[in-house]
Amino acid sequence: MSARVRSAPGVRPGAGSTFRWSVLVVLGVWALAPLVLLVVVSASGGWRFPSLLGADPGLGAWRAVGAASGSLWAALGTSTLVGVGTGVAAAALGLPLGRALSNLRGAWRIVGAGCAFMPVAAPPLALGVGLQYSFLRMDLGGGVAGVILAHLIPALGYTSLFFLGVFAVFDREIESEARRLGADAWQVLTRVTLPLLRRPLAEAFVLGFLVSWAQVPLTLLVGQGQVRTLTVQVLSWVQAGQDPLAAAGAVLLVVPPLLLMGGASLAFQRAQVVAP
Amino acid sequence: MTRPSEKSFGIAAALVLAAPVVVGTGYATAAALGLAGAGATGQASLDRAVAVLTDPVVWGGTLWILWVAAASTVLSAAIAIAIAVTFRGAGRLDALGRTLAVLPLPVPHLVAAVGGLLVLGQSGLIARVAFHLGFIDGPAAMPALVYDPAGIGLVLALTWKEVPFLTLVAVSVLATRGDALERTARGLGAGRRDVFWRVTWPVLWRGLMPAAVAVFTFVAGSYEAAVILAPSDPLALPVLTWERFVDAGLGQRADAYVLALLGFGIALAAVAVHEWVRARIGLLDGGSA
Repeated sequence: MSARVRSAPGVRPGAGSTFRWSVLVVLGVWALAPLVLLVVVSASGGWRFPSLLGADPGLGAWRAVGAASGSLWAALGTSTLVGVGTGVAAAALGLPLGRALSNLRGAWRIVGAGCAFMPVAAPPLALGVGLQYSFLRMDLGGGVAGVILAHLIPALGYTSLFFLGVFAVFDREIESEARRLGADAWQVLTRVTLPLLRRPLAEAFVLGFLVSWAQVPLTLLVGQGQVRTLTVQVLSWVQAGQDPLAAAGAVLLVVPPLLLMGGASLAFQRAQVVAP
Repeated sequence: MTRPSEKSFGIAAALVLAAPVVVGTGYATAAALGLAGAGATGQASLDRAVAVLTDPVVWGGTLWILWVAAASTVLSAAIAIAIAVTFRGAGRLDALGRTLAVLPLPVPHLVAAVGGLLVLGQSGLIARVAFHLGFIDGPAAMPALVYDPAGIGLVLALTWKEVPFLTLVAVSVLATRGDALERTARGLGAGRRDVFWRVTWPVLWRGLMPAAVAVFTFVAGSYEAAVILAPSDPLALPVLTWERFVDAGLGQRADAYVLALLGFGIALAAVAVHEWVRARIGLLDGGSA
């Protein structure tokens, strides 16, 4: 195997192998230990000092956690609803906004990209403090619709910038060709543009979903404590010292993003294999 | 060439995207001046802003979160560079190293903070292992790594969370810009050390700088990790903003708008630095070409 490894500058082949394996082990512990610990604590049946595995470790403890707290599953459902809603809206709106921005040239392009970057760079807490009154005035406080709209603000910044990049290299000649062949605007959109952008649209959905999935301050400020997403629920369990519940919630928070990332990566590899 | 209608659509799109931030900062400014929100007097005054911005608690919390953001950004960048350089080949070991490094990428910051608390807390994993190995006789003997004034726990948790993103950027920078330059340098007779310090390192830090500024901005404004791992004295700026905003006293609530503007200001300053660095890197790249 070492023959296949191209040596990096500063790393001697052979002599560097032990070093690289050592680094790999440290890296594995560093990356995985906190995640494994979350699983252990969630299935510990009570994680009291100095026990490493807890009072009653096993899947039974996990079932007990789930049964004891219907709020865990309710929060998972709310997070999924808000995340999917935000992801769909961020992908659907990010595409036309990113395309419109990509039509700008010179200084206007810089201004446009800067405007799209503003909701990405703004701290969500500061944004929520400034916008809470507007949401309450629009009667959007304390409801799922308002929280999705609030999450959409940063998510749309990300997806618009993403589509700005996509359309910077998109070959528009294909659309012109379809129009020359007699296709109307709707046919060009549904039969040419959207099929070509299936993958970027899926990636934009994942991006929007992940931004929403991890969101805390905007949910708290616009949801007014009535929209209990999984992040909000986990935060309240941590603050209440309920470690197994918090760890179980944290495990549930990790699974969908990892699956989405894994799925996207797999789809990417398959696309590379299929591509000529 | 851009048609007038395309330009109008582009400008409209930019306005749509910027509108929530403009509305949010506009309302926060009006509230900070006493023109809107809790405790509004209807007459514009800088008294509130001056009182908040000269409060040592505010400056303590601001400097503390800036320290945490700087420390975790520098540490993450250093680890990301080390990983990118060590595992940049095409072999399985390299692929495994890169995969492990980017694994926490989609993990929410809140989960990183909960993990940090369970590992580093006084009754956390490290304390338990130390107890079983006989190094400490109880949680009280464990050095404080969370809620500590130095912010060690928060810095480590945020570093764990930010290393994957910076590693991804560092690996991509090396793959797209590093290889050809290094081959050229080696072809011209440069030794391994020279190649690293005169080619690899400059390429890496230039490519990584915009991403590092983005990480700094995000960390400085992050609430959820700070509220779990930060101490109560000094109170980190995002936590202080939250506490003032949910305070029952209307005067305290008005303070939160000033603090929110301070948060926006830090983000704006970081974006300005980001753009300056990007322009400077462009100049350097142009100069070296």
